[in-house]
Amino acid sequence: MSAVPILATEGVGKRFGAFRALDGVSVAFPEGGITAIIGPNGAGKSTFFNLVSGAFPPSEGRILYRGRDITGSPPHRFAALGIAKSFQITNVFPHLTAHENVRVAAQARRVRFDLLRDRAAYPELARKAEALLAEVGLPDRAGRLARELAHGEQRALEIAMALAADPDLLLLDEPTAGMSPEETRAMMGLVARLAARRTLILVEHKMKLVMDLCRRLIVLHQGRLLAEGTPDAIRADAEVRRVYLGRSA
Amino acid sequence: MSGSAAGPARAVPSSEGSGAPGGRLARAGRHRVALSLAALALFPLVAPYEALAVNILVLGLYALGFNLLFGYAGLLSFGHAAFLGAGAYGCGIAIVQYGLHPLAAIGLGTGLAVAVAAAMGYLAIRTRGIYFAMTTLALSMCVYYAFYRAERLTGGENGLRGINVPALGLPGVSLPLLDPTVKYYVVLVFVGAAIWLFSRILASPFGAVLEAIRENEGRAEACGYDVRRVKLVAFVISGAFCGLAGALQAIHLSIVPIETMHYATSGEAVMMALLGGTRTFFGPFVGAATFLLLQDGLATLTSHWQLLVGAIFIAFVLFLPLGLWGEVLARLRRLDAAPGGAP
Amino acid sequence: MTLASLPLTLVALQVVTGIALGAIYVLVGIGLSLIFGLMNIVNFAHGAFFMAGAYVGVFLYGYTGNFWVSLVVAPVAIGLLGLAVERVLIRPLYGRGPDDPLLLTFGLAYVVVESVRILFGLTGLPFSAPPPLRGAVDIGIGYFPLYRLFLIGFVGLVVLGLWLLIERTRFGLIIRAGARDPQIVQVLGIDIGRVWLAVFGLGCALAGLAGILAAPLQGVTPEMGVPVLAEAFVVTVVGGMGSLAGAVLAGLLVGIVVAMTSLIAPDLTKMAIFAVMALVLLVRPRGLLGRAGAFG
Repeated sequence: MSAVPILATEGVGKRFGAFRALDGVSVAFPEGGITAIIGPNGAGKSTFFNLVSGAFPPSEGRILYRGRDITGSPPHRFAALGIAKSFQITNVFPHLTAHENVRVAAQARRVRFDLLRDRAAYPELARKAEALLAEVGLPDRAGRLARELAHGEQRALEIAMALAADPDLLLLDEPTAGMSPEETRAMMGLVARLAARRTLILVEHKMKLVMDLCRRLIVLHQGRLLAEGTPDAIRADAEVRRVYLGRSA
Repeated sequence: MSGSAAGPARAVPSSEGSGAPGGRLARAGRHRVALSLAALALFPLVAPYEALAVNILVLGLYALGFNLLFGYAGLLSFGHAAFLGAGAYGCGIAIVQYGLHPLAAIGLGTGLAVAVAAAMGYLAIRTRGIYFAMTTLALSMCVYYAFYRAERLTGGENGLRGINVPALGLPGVSLPLLDPTVKYYVVLVFVGAAIWLFSRILASPFGAVLEAIRENEGRAEACGYDVRRVKLVAFVISGAFCGLAGALQAIHLSIVPIETMHYATSGEAVMMALLGGTRTFFGPFVGAATFLLLQDGLATLTSHWQLLVGAIFIAFVLFLPLGLWGEVLARLRRLDAAPGGAP
Repeated sequence: MTLASLPLTLVALQVVTGIALGAIYVLVGIGLSLIFGLMNIVNFAHGAFFMAGAYVGVFLYGYTGNFWVSLVVAPVAIGLLGLAVERVLIRPLYGRGPDDPLLLTFGLAYVVVESVRILFGLTGLPFSAPPPLRGAVDIGIGYFPLYRLFLIGFVGLVVLGLWLLIERTRFGLIIRAGARDPQIVQVLGIDIGRVWLAVFGLGCALAGLAGILAAPLQGVTPEMGVPVLAEAFVVTVVGGMGSLAGAVLAGLLVGIVVAMTSLIAPDLTKMAIFAVMALVLLVRPRGLLGRAGAFG
């Protein structure tokens, strides 16, 4: 584990009007492997995800990327730093082909204001899009419009789009939400493969899914940090068992 | 009621970008510039009279420029009359007050439109969704009143008169613009060059970003695009095309009525683009032809033709949102995809 | 000429004039903002409805000679027109993007304006304040037209009524909840379609009311709504998205700015309205009282 965590939060909180969605959460994510953020509904997982992925700024506290303060940077700056995310609600470009979805995503870090050359002048982007579609298991869907893909395929497409930015840190918000058991298995296999080469932070509602996969767990409850540690430590944690595992454990 | 969350209204893939599926239609789409030019070159053969044909050409370019924002980037502006007007006044003033060569005047008019678009865009891109339509409309009215008041330069309420360009003098030749056929093809040279440039921009990586923003602004931003800057650049480019259209119109009509800048004229760009089809390359020209032929035909029947134009427009929004050309392409595409056609 | 070189009473009178002008802007702006806030629809026919309200009122006045009848019937008639428009034309567009209702109402404005031209002619009708509201009264700083005082008071009452409706009734609660999240309202078992219908009608009625109230100030022409639409947009953008208090504040602000500019630099009056908006966009793009989130 390197000395500087790839991502850290210092007392971040978020208020929506009078509602405190997140309150004083300080955690550090070491480089490499998978860290999962779990918690029951309304624990503040999605809010936390949105804060660290730059969707909106925290009401208080700081967010550090490799020790550098990135609090309040606009979303496109997060992407430029090497932070990519996949959303909980499927978030693709519906009327573009799967291939173009990934190609445009890959283009973001390579070319910006090229108005006169053809897109084909960057064949490496097209090749990269093909390779990424293959990596997420959609090699035969390249020419289809994104909106015509099955739900599970759209989620996989979205991950390919996130990977297109060559992120050092990949944030995934409930990647298996709404998926069939087979789709879920395929997705978790993909997640495990992805973690071999980059840091993954995963928000997950279903705790069982991530227990075997991740190196560390962070448990949120009612907007606060409840516990953090290895899967074994979390399993043994009395507080966690009480609020979260109550029924199933 | 977040204006940003709104999905695209017209659920049809564009046949233009390289992001569209293959097929014979897509292959034809690769030659869209040549096909468009061929259609426009032959158009005077079927047009009722040449002055109308030139109008269609010029306003088609105006609608095309507008459609860069609406059809491709998903931004509905109601302020494009300011760019058409700036182009027209810029060109007209250069000719009437300073006696410049028409080519220089066209360049100047387009430049003025770019400046106006940059200023308006800088303010308007701060708003999103349908707020953008309201803001652009209001800002364009500010430009309208400014030109209205600058009477010494613009002629104010009476419009700018006396833009007489009997001939376009070039090294070696002088093209007589009083000959309507010559005038049509001279204007077509400008419009054709604009169409070529427009197609290049759409096919470029920048064009890809525009489509991405239209499809899903938040996602485009998450990909790492500075959406605001892209929008501003698109706004200015769009304004340049409309400015060129305005400059050509000033020379064509030899007058710039103040109404050129009024938001009702912005509405005409919206109508023409929608009548033709906003998700198509050539739709704005089809829309301009439809709109002007409709206006021309209805005006001979009744002085209240605007009633019918409004009703027809409402019918298009309700029942034919793809527009005429968009509907044609959608049918061809279905034929293309039918069994026996493609595998 | 600068403000400081003018007599203070003249400036003060002009402020009151601005408030009277602003009262019209307030009504138009609230109507637009209500529809916009709840339904995410920009009603481009709002200016045309304003004009139609003026025509209905003036036409009726010609028969009854009673301004009060006009004041009641004009908004009711335009409100009913609004209900019909929502039912027949706008309802089929729910589920499509927000641009479609905007485009449709833009076409509708053409139809309304041209219909009025057919019914009442191209030239417009002259109209001045009804006899009991003519003349001027001394308001301490000078003589002020009675009709404009009436305008301020009447619009004040209407705004108060709207405020009570929105803050103190069940209907208002639904409007407020629906503006935040239409799904919540549906979860509560309320037919949001009926709420939309009612709000669209109410917004149009306010445009009609503003029209007949404005008629004695300017007379009526088929084109009188054209600039009003642009000015209503300014009020909405300056006031802030979906904020009624914002519409009131912005309407009065625009009115006062217009009155002041016409005192100092009459040529720039129209531009001043839009300059206010440009300034607000620069410093506070979400509008004076707008909520966050609507803007990037």
